[in-house]
Amino acid sequence: MKKVSNMSELFERLNDLKSIFWYGQKLIPIIQSIIDFMRDTVPLLDDINHSIADSTSKMPKAKDQITNVSSATELATTEILDIVDSISADLGKIETIFNDVQKEEENKRNIWDNIKKLLPNTPEAETLIKKYENNKKFESQSQVLLNSFNKIKNDVYNISLSLQVQDITSQQLAAVNHLIESVQKRLASLIVHLDESDIKNFEVQMINETDEKTFDADARYTKDSNKQDSVDLIINSTLNKASQDEIDKLFS
Amino acid sequence: MSLKFLVVDDSVTMRRIVVNSLRNLGYNDFVEAVDGKDAFEKLNADNSINFVITDWNMPVVSGLELVKSIRGDEKLSKLPILMVTTRGVKEDIIEALQARVNNYIVKPFTPQILKEKIDQIINAS
Repeated sequence: MKKVSNMSELFERLNDLKSIFWYGQKLIPIIQSIIDFMRDTVPLLDDINHSIADSTSKMPKAKDQITNVSSATELATTEILDIVDSISADLGKIETIFNDVQKEEENKRNIWDNIKKLLPNTPEAETLIKKYENNKKFESQSQVLLNSFNKIKNDVYNISLSLQVQDITSQQLAAVNHLIESVQKRLASLIVHLDESDIKNFEVQMINETDEKTFDADARYTKDSNKQDSVDLIINSTLNKASQDEIDKLFS
Repeated sequence: MSLKFLVVDDSVTMRRIVVNSLRNLGYNDFVEAVDGKDAFEKLNADNSINFVITDWNMPVVSGLELVKSIRGDEKLSKLPILMVTTRGVKEDIIEALQARVNNYIVKPFTPQILKEKIDQIINAS
C-alpha cells in the first residue's frame, strides 16, 4: 500500500513539474519581451540623461544672459538719469536767468512809469508812449513761457521717477534666475548613469545661488495707488485709525 | 530742523531717484549706502545723519536687519526710518512695523507720497 501511495505522490510532483515547465514555456516570450523592452529602454534612458545634462548645462548661460540684461538696463538707466540730471541742471540755469530777466523787466517798468510822468503832455509824446507800450511782448508772453518751462521741468522729473521700473524689473529678473537655479538643482538630482566626463562638465557649470533676500519675487511696477493705500491702512491700524475689516478688505 | 538723509538701496538707479526727489523737496544733505552693513557703518561714522530712508531687499544685510540693528543700538535707536520697498503684502508691512520703522512706502513711489511720509515722521517726532 505504501508503494502505491509513494508512486501517486511521485506522479503528483511530476505533474507539478510539468506545470512549471508549461508555465515556463508560456513565460519565456513575456520575459523575452521584458528583456527587449529593457534593452530598448537603456539607450532611451541614456538619451534622457544626456538631454537633462544638456539642458542643465545650458542653464548657467541662460542665467548669465538674464544677468547681462539686468546690467545693461541698469547701465542704460544710469545714462538716462545722467541726461535727465544734465537737462535739470540746464533748466535750473534757465530758471535763474528767467527770474533775473523778470526782475529786470519789473524794474524797467517802474522806471518807465516814472519817465512817463516826466514826459510833456504833447501828441508826439503820447504817440511814442503808445508805440512803446504796444511793444511789450515779453510781459504778455512771460506767463506762457513760465508755464511751458514748468511743464518741461515736471516732465523731466517724471521721466526719472518712471525709471523706478528698472529696479523693479531687475528684482523680477533676479527671481527668474533663482527659479532657474532651483530647476537646475532638481534636474541635477535626476541625472543618473552619466559617464565621468559628463558629470565633470556638469559640476563645473553649476550655478552659484542667488541670495533670496536680495530680491522680491512679487515686485510689480504699477501706478495703482491701492498698494500704498493698503500700507497706510495697516500703519493707521496700529494707531487704531482703521478697522481690521477694512484692512482685510483691501488685501483680499 | 535741517535734515541729513542716509539713502540705503543696492540699486544705484533707486538711490539716484530718491536723492533727486529729496533735492526737489528742498533737501540737500545726503549720504548713500549700498546695503544694510554699509549703512550701519556710515551711521556710526557720521553722527550728523538724522533720517534714514532704506530699501528692504538688499545683499549682505537687508533693510529689515538694518532697522533692527538701529533700534537695538543705544546711540541710534531714536533715528527716524522710512522704508521704501517693493514689498507690499500685509505680513511684510506688519513685520516692518514690528521692527519699528516709522513709515513705509511701496515702490514705485510718487514725490507727493515721499513728501507726505517725511512730513508725517518729522511732525510726529
